[in-house]
Amino acid sequence: MNLDSYLITDEPYYSPTHNEVQLFEAAYVNRMPMMLKGPTGCGKTRFVEYMAWKLKKPLITVSCHEDMTASDLVGRYLLDSEGTIWHDGPLTIAVRQGAICYLDEIVEARQDTSVVIHSLTDDRRILSLEKKNEVVKAHQDFQIIISYNPGYQSVLKDLKESTKQRFGAIDFNYPNPEDEAKIIAHESGIDNKTAAKLVYISERSRNLKGHGLDEGASTRMLIYAAQLMAQGVSLEDACEVALVLPITDDHDIRNALSSAITACA
Amino acid sequence: MVASATRGKYAVQPQSQEPSSPDERLIYLIDKGKTFFPSQYQILWERACSKLAKAGYGALIPLSYARHSPKLVNILNPEAAINLAASVSLAAIKVNRAAAELLPKAAVVAATELKSSHAFSSWIMTIEELVHHAPESSLAVLERTQKIVSTLTPDRFRSWVLAGLRSTSDDTLRQIQYFSFVDPESEKWFLHEAGDVVFTNLERKLKLYLISLWNLMPPVRDLVASTSPLSMRRISITNGVVQVPEVFPGFHDEQAEKIFRAGLAHAGAHLMYSTKKFTLGELKPIQVALVSLLEDARVEYLAMQAFPGLRELWLPFHTAKPSGPKLVPLLLTRLSRALIDLEYRDRDGWVQKGRDMFFDAQNDMTNPTLCRNIGVLLGNDLGQLRAQFNSKTYVVEPPYRDDNMGLWDFGDHQGEDEGDDGIFIEAMRTTQEDIKDDSSSNQDSEDSDDRDEQQYSARESLDSEHRESEVAIRYPEYDFLTGAERPNWTCAVEYFPDFGDAYKIDRILEKHSNLVNRITNLIQSANVSLPERLHHQSVGESLDLDACINAVISRRMGEIPDPRIYSTTERKHRDLSVLVLLDVSNSTNDYVQTADTSILELELQATSLLAYAMSELDDPFAIAAFCSDGKEDVHYYRIKDFESPYDSSARAYLAGLQGKLSTRMGTAMRHATRDLIAQRTHRRLLLVVSDGEPSDIDVEDQQYLVEDARYVTRSISRLGIDTFCVGLDGSGDSYLHKIFGRKNVTVIDRLERLPERLPMLYFRLTA
Repeated sequence: MNLDSYLITDEPYYSPTHNEVQLFEAAYVNRMPMMLKGPTGCGKTRFVEYMAWKLKKPLITVSCHEDMTASDLVGRYLLDSEGTIWHDGPLTIAVRQGAICYLDEIVEARQDTSVVIHSLTDDRRILSLEKKNEVVKAHQDFQIIISYNPGYQSVLKDLKESTKQRFGAIDFNYPNPEDEAKIIAHESGIDNKTAAKLVYISERSRNLKGHGLDEGASTRMLIYAAQLMAQGVSLEDACEVALVLPITDDHDIRNALSSAITACA
Repeated sequence: MVASATRGKYAVQPQSQEPSSPDERLIYLIDKGKTFFPSQYQILWERACSKLAKAGYGALIPLSYARHSPKLVNILNPEAAINLAASVSLAAIKVNRAAAELLPKAAVVAATELKSSHAFSSWIMTIEELVHHAPESSLAVLERTQKIVSTLTPDRFRSWVLAGLRSTSDDTLRQIQYFSFVDPESEKWFLHEAGDVVFTNLERKLKLYLISLWNLMPPVRDLVASTSPLSMRRISITNGVVQVPEVFPGFHDEQAEKIFRAGLAHAGAHLMYSTKKFTLGELKPIQVALVSLLEDARVEYLAMQAFPGLRELWLPFHTAKPSGPKLVPLLLTRLSRALIDLEYRDRDGWVQKGRDMFFDAQNDMTNPTLCRNIGVLLGNDLGQLRAQFNSKTYVVEPPYRDDNMGLWDFGDHQGEDEGDDGIFIEAMRTTQEDIKDDSSSNQDSEDSDDRDEQQYSARESLDSEHRESEVAIRYPEYDFLTGAERPNWTCAVEYFPDFGDAYKIDRILEKHSNLVNRITNLIQSANVSLPERLHHQSVGESLDLDACINAVISRRMGEIPDPRIYSTTERKHRDLSVLVLLDVSNSTNDYVQTADTSILELELQATSLLAYAMSELDDPFAIAAFCSDGKEDVHYYRIKDFESPYDSSARAYLAGLQGKLSTRMGTAMRHATRDLIAQRTHRRLLLVVSDGEPSDIDVEDQQYLVEDARYVTRSISRLGIDTFCVGLDGSGDSYLHKIFGRKNVTVIDRLERLPERLPMLYFRLTA
């Protein structure tokens, strides 16, 4: 199977916030399984794309959901008119062909699912396909990355200790204000000054975290607001659409947030 | 004395053609009044008049009735006029002659304003209610009929009257103060009922606003009632506590919201930038006022550097004109405006000088001493102009700004003789002391989820040592008669529970070891969680695709296929948090009818068994207890929190519970809900253990607290929290059924019945 379509050809824009690129490269040398932690919309997925591009490796992304079974990852037999054929799942493809496999929001998947990656994440680096009676040795380029957003899941949805301990972890957070403004300006095409104002506004929303908001406005939301502004939408309207209305249905919080945005303008 | 004064004011002056003797005058008025009535009502009205005349109330009451009631015929209808006689008679019997004499006149005022006979009859019913429950206060209300009916609808009027009756209970003096608007609470509820925007409506919004802007969480509370008139009240910041007046008179609806927002933003600017207090030193009152004014301008300047939009918020309140007499208070408002409004031009030399000095120091704005320097100089200039400054009447303008008490360090200068000039400062000092006193004894007005704030009040109340309490939080209460909640009506105060003998709980467990196991097994077998999908099942409601494919493959390969090709859903865990809320009112000291243990004892037994089982199974649970001593003091004891272990100290607290005081169940339930809502489990259960019937010392109407608790139960269920009640002793169960619903109450009179009844509870949660 040709994985060319999984290769990332154009450089994704990524502005490092710290030394995460060096750390990741060092981890890749040993193909160490990595765990990316951090709030939603802070750039985890973009970072993975960027690293895949930089390392020139194909990237297979799987978004995990609560009804996902091990077969969805590993593969299953399917029927056709001739008989039965085996169909590799995304994980098996990555293992065979040497791709980076990125399991997004791994905790969403059923706990038995996360166990299938155990043999891949220690020194064995094998994947056993029980139904097919086959053991796949991981390609030398294969690496597994998971993302994990601590906090918003309930206690029941946490990673098993035995899973957690197989990964190295990089903690992500929103970039510092100057960098964040630069990112927003780059992604949306608005000027730096307006971008800086949006970042300043986002701080108002991040202040409310824990006081009725589960998360403040993410970098991704700020980019959306900036993109609206690039189309000529006013600051107030853009913020209302992209930063206020999506994150809360509580009228008091909306009111406080909108007023704070007005104060920033 | 009141009566005679009123009579003088309202007594009817005989007109020239009226006969002078009362009897003749009554006959004259009846003859005249009759003409207003349709013929079939005339005889009825005459009868009503003569009945009043013969009842021995004196001459003035029937005269007043005969003179005024016919006017109701045109405004409303003849029945209203005739029925009024009964109300007049009631007032004469229950209150006094003055009130009865005033009633017909007040009725005409009310009818003219209300216009509909339906509204009028609700008004008169409320008056009668008042006459029954607070006769001494009826006259005060009747005298204010014009103010009341022109502002409040009859329903709102009733609601205001009920608020008065409920908050003053039987205290006649307080009732009179309330109904004659002497008690500031009265004005507050009046405005609340008038639908005016009062601070309580905005509190949460504005607190979030401060968090959002500066990440500030100062404790915010109602301004302690002071003697100063409403129009002179300002926001006050003392030791980090922001006190806000309930209303700014003259500001309605959107304007009201704006001024509160402007005020809070200004207070926030002080908290951020007024970091050091000024020492009073030898400053004159005018200099104190000026330094405060400049400090206001300085912190606003800095705040606007960070948030340019704040200028739009503050500017509209600066309305000073660059003309008019050069009185000091006016000059001060002009200076205030000149310092914030860049477009404003003022030709007055003093204002210009102030402005120039202020903006010359632009680069040094973070330094508060510049305010002191400029303020002193400007004060001297005013002194040389011989401009008069009356510190007694001075109020900070514009009204959104705070009184600046918090800016000054009054420390060492207490008691020095400052002469005439010192009045303002003395006034500031006295107020300062008042606030100190008040803030230490007044630990209420907390209504927020903020931990910091709670910790603040914890510290504060520990300092005060008046009450051994941790947190005091205000809650609304539901009044079934008006069908609405009254905000901030009650206060839940957390007290530290007493230590008891932890072995007592262990002994209970030992004694009932057979029950302990049964209960643990029962709970263990109850699965309360989100249903989970199970694959590879031999029975189930849907096909498992993977298993089906495997089965077909096996068949083609000639093997025996695995018949487990279904999937199903099942609740497998118990994802449930339980808060056990124990009623420890005085009535729990009574003995259970059918056994020789007290209700409290039975509560403890049942709770220790449940707690043991839940802690063995690692279920998250908390235990709290409550009793009450009036609406301002609902005791709440935390025996065990969700996050703390069920250790010997929790058991000792449990064993130390004593039955005392009353049962204000609704408030305690509201308080318990705060903890429960933070739990992130699939189901959350508030398990109330009570002996029935809520009651409290300041509530006469039994139904009131029952309805409140019922209302709380319903609103809690909207939050996704289940309530269940274990009633002990059968006598109060009809109340419990009413509050929790028949299906959510189980009554046990012996501990042995607990295992029988418990499955019902868990069944309710999974059904």
